[in-house]
Amino acid sequence: MADINRTIQELLVDYAEALRDGSIPVFLKSLTREEAQRITSSREFWDATETVRILNGVGFADKAVTPNVSLFISRVDAKIASRLKKARAPSRERRGVRAKPVTKAEKTRKSI
Amino acid sequence: MQHTRKNKGLAVNRRLRKGLKGLMDPDPERRRRAMESFVRATFESFIRCLYRYLGNEVECEDVLEDVYADIWENPERLCNVTSDRELLRTVYLYYMRKRLRQVYRRLNRNLHLSQEGLKRLVAPEIGIVELLSQEELRHVLRRMIGRLKARERRAIELWMEGMSNRAIANELKTTVGAVKMLKFRTILKLKKELRNYNRKD
Repeated sequence: MADINRTIQELLVDYAEALRDGSIPVFLKSLTREEAQRITSSREFWDATETVRILNGVGFADKAVTPNVSLFISRVDAKIASRLKKARAPSRERRGVRAKPVTKAEKTRKSI
Repeated sequence: MQHTRKNKGLAVNRRLRKGLKGLMDPDPERRRRAMESFVRATFESFIRCLYRYLGNEVECEDVLEDVYADIWENPERLCNVTSDRELLRTVYLYYMRKRLRQVYRRLNRNLHLSQEGLKRLVAPEIGIVELLSQEELRHVLRRMIGRLKARERRAIELWMEGMSNRAIANELKTTVGAVKMLKFRTILKLKKELRNYNRKD
């Protein structure tokens, strides 16, 4: 991906490689303005990306290391718990009403 | 109750049916408990689906964590699901795509690719990939690769084994540029075959 002015063929092959290696952000960052424009206007590129994804899904998804599901479930549960907590917490507005700072004018009014 | 009746006709396995039924419960705590069987039943297919777009296990897990939490929060989209395929398609359309886009949104400020282009690249519209199961895809791909010329087939097979362009070039006794061209032509050829397959079936 060191080339600066890649052809659409090279760009597709680089995209396929980045997808295989899990380094899409690196590929995206490597695109120059001209290359990005070339990609946007190329129908061939968009047509081919779907096939690349299929190749990636069939060829490499099975080889990928499957993580421990039980551990993953506890992660999901923790995420849900944090969302539940957020939903149950009083909203900012309500809290705002309760903890509204007393203005100077109000203070003087009270003392009077 | 209505959802329960609907789910009775599901062409999905028991664990998933149980998980889906539990997800339709209005009580968030009960929905939370139902998530376990739902995650166990769907985890493998969901992570494989995400892998097609990210190609990275760690990112897949992070995205999937959010996807499951979103499903727990708003499970309404899944109430009419009747098959595994439909489930995957619905989850991709309404939950995964949103999260996939978020992964790359933070990068967008420094990129030359437009927001629309980025969307199309990282979280595309529904296509053949989402309509076929992993088994079907494998079968179709094997058939399509079998129809390629020997050199094209070898290039794709070597690439799928994880070889770099240079290593493939050495193996085929050609240049890196020629390998890139060969791969590009072969991918387009596969795409054409895939389109024909889709039209026939």
